[in-house]
Amino acid sequence: MRKMSILIICITCIVLGYFTLALAKKAFTAREDLPAAADEQDMKYRLVLITQELDTPFWDKAGIAAKEQARKDGASLEVWGSYGKNQEDFLKKLEIAIQSKVDGIIVQGLDTPEFKDLVKVKAAFYGIPIITVANDVPKAESLRKTYVGSDQYLAGELIAEQLIDDMGHEGKVILMGDKHKEYYLQQRLNGIHEVLKDYPGIRTVYAETTDVREEIIASTQNMLNQNPDTDSFIAIKANIAEAMIQEIGRRSQVEPYYIYSFDDGPDSLSLLKQGKLDGIIEQSPEKMGSLSAELILKWLKDEEVPLKSDGYLTDIRILKAMEEQ
Amino acid sequence: MNKIHKKIWTLTTVILLIMAAIWITLTYYNQKTQNQYNDILQRYLRMNEVTRTSQQVIADLNNYFITPTPENLEKLNNSKKKMENVQSEVLYLRNSENEFALTNYINLIDSLAETADRSLLFFNEHEKEDSAKEFAEATRISMYISEMTLTLIDSELNTYERFYRGIIEQSGEIKKLGIWVMLMITCLLMLLTYGFSLSITKPVQKLTQAANELSRGRFHLPIKVDSNDEIAFLAQTFDRMRININNLISEIQHKAQLEHELQESKLLLKESQLLNLQSQINPHFLFNTLNTLSKKAYLEGSHETSDLLVSVAGLLRYNLKRLDRPVTLREEVMVLQQYMDIQKARFTDRLQLKMSIDESCLQVDIPGLTLQPIIENAVNYAVEPREEGGIIWFRIQDGNDCVIIEVEDDGPGIDDSKIKQILQGQFIQTDGKTTGIGFTNVVRRLRLFYGYENIMNIESSADGTKVVMKIPKDRRGAA
Repeated sequence: MRKMSILIICITCIVLGYFTLALAKKAFTAREDLPAAADEQDMKYRLVLITQELDTPFWDKAGIAAKEQARKDGASLEVWGSYGKNQEDFLKKLEIAIQSKVDGIIVQGLDTPEFKDLVKVKAAFYGIPIITVANDVPKAESLRKTYVGSDQYLAGELIAEQLIDDMGHEGKVILMGDKHKEYYLQQRLNGIHEVLKDYPGIRTVYAETTDVREEIIASTQNMLNQNPDTDSFIAIKANIAEAMIQEIGRRSQVEPYYIYSFDDGPDSLSLLKQGKLDGIIEQSPEKMGSLSAELILKWLKDEEVPLKSDGYLTDIRILKAMEEQ
Repeated sequence: MNKIHKKIWTLTTVILLIMAAIWITLTYYNQKTQNQYNDILQRYLRMNEVTRTSQQVIADLNNYFITPTPENLEKLNNSKKKMENVQSEVLYLRNSENEFALTNYINLIDSLAETADRSLLFFNEHEKEDSAKEFAEATRISMYISEMTLTLIDSELNTYERFYRGIIEQSGEIKKLGIWVMLMITCLLMLLTYGFSLSITKPVQKLTQAANELSRGRFHLPIKVDSNDEIAFLAQTFDRMRININNLISEIQHKAQLEHELQESKLLLKESQLLNLQSQINPHFLFNTLNTLSKKAYLEGSHETSDLLVSVAGLLRYNLKRLDRPVTLREEVMVLQQYMDIQKARFTDRLQLKMSIDESCLQVDIPGLTLQPIIENAVNYAVEPREEGGIIWFRIQDGNDCVIIEVEDDGPGIDDSKIKQILQGQFIQTDGKTTGIGFTNVVRRLRLFYGYENIMNIESSADGTKVVMKIPKDRRGAA
């Protein structure tokens, strides 16, 4: 009896010991350490990519590619920006970037005096190089180092040619532009006009609107009312397309219209997939991201000075609804 | 030797060490956790400090612009210095995850300082417009700093959240561990205490058992305790005591036996003396009468009768005086011859005595009246009942260290059982034919006198009995 109880206590001891050890091992193993303190001597180049439209497929691609390129070249790059073309926020981010004395700024160009003022005066004051990406602001006005992105003029031409291919040489086109005539939009418009001027059978109507949804709807209604015989729409600014198509759809079928736009809006691709857009100009956001990062680093390291002032152009191509389906 | 003492100390020390180890571990862990909490909190506090000091700089700058006194300038400089200090502290908060943002943050503070300086410069040079512009910018930067502080703290929260959760989880685990350790130590202590108490109580139990045995008078069981402490020492001592007692007891027993024997010999002597005294009254009268008769017979010319009467008287005298002290064998033989003379007169030709005596052996000491009863016995049983008479051989020989006395007859022999009784010293019924001192008495007296048992041997068969006595020459040496 006594031996039995001793044995039981012994076994209990061993079992308890095992569990205790296991638990102690778990409890005292070094837990996840705090993030390591950064090396103070580590003077990596700090780059910022600032866009007006965060979280759109276009800028996500550009951002990822730029980050990847920066990582490869041993620099750190962050993507900042505003949502939905909030200019005030965008400019604030740009100013913070300048005041934070980053080593280089890659920015989506914005053709406003405030932007130009910031880029020309502040950035130059702190000696921060700026590269515009996707949307350009002429060098003379912004003192940017270079431009990386599509040739917007060529994009306009391409879209016009596609229109002619689809619609033929006769028809009426409504061009929906932005009231605020940004440089890159102007380029696109110029490209379209350049092609269409050779086709007298095609009449163009130019309409201007702002980014506000109601206004887009209103101007679309207005256009449809004034031009019931229209055959085609081109949304020169990609953001307009969605509201515009919605309004058209409310009136009649969307399919009979030839509707074209660009890929730098938040819904461009999904609209194309739904077949509501007949074609979009597809740019190369990845290329823009990586190339811009590469160029600014090259400039910082004095490997390529000066950069081409009229820009490094990336590929564009037309993406048709048929191809997507 | 202070083994139990040591055991208690060891047990206490072990328990104390375990407790101390647990306490130190837990305290260390608590301290570590607390430090980590503290570090995290410090980060937030420092970042917050940046916002506060930057706003202070703006406020002081504004104050100075409104009332440009040296005191306000002093204040402004102070707050700027404070901001710089905080900035250098924030530098240490950099880690791999917030490096970019924090560098920006620090640079923003720089920008703020520079802008504030510029604003002050313009103000001092009375370029109010530029100064106001710079001031507006500084205000903006200060705002950016506050915003960035919030963003940074937010990202810090994200970074440290899993870490913090880890700490909480670990705390829970430590709590559980505490319970397990408690249980384990309880078990362990139970075992240790059991073993410890057993190591003390078991020897005590053994000792108690041994004491019990001793108290019951069993001294032959050895006491053995297999421990190496004071109890073992106690047991050893106890065992020695047992052995001593045992020895003493056996000695006492031995002594008692000796005393008993002494008592017995005294009793036997008393018996002989008593018998002697009983026959003392008659013998003296008889002795005188016999002497008178002898003279009378001699005077009347009956020489033979006279000699016989002298023999009887001599025998009687010897019987009266030689009982309580040793005599020599020679005297004993002489008395024997006188006795045999009388018996020969009685039995004439029926009794033949054949003696062969080694003269050199007659000096040995022998208790008085030992040979005569044996011869008497032989005469009584081997000669008297038989009409044709009998032959008795009496021999004294030298047997190296002893003298061999043989009395042989050709009588009908004695029963084995009777011989046994005689040799064992038991009194047997006599039929009054003897002189009174029986065979048994002789045997016992001889044994007492010489101190050893095997002094007499009786061989008996249908045609004779032989009594052999071996008398040691040196009584003391034989004893």
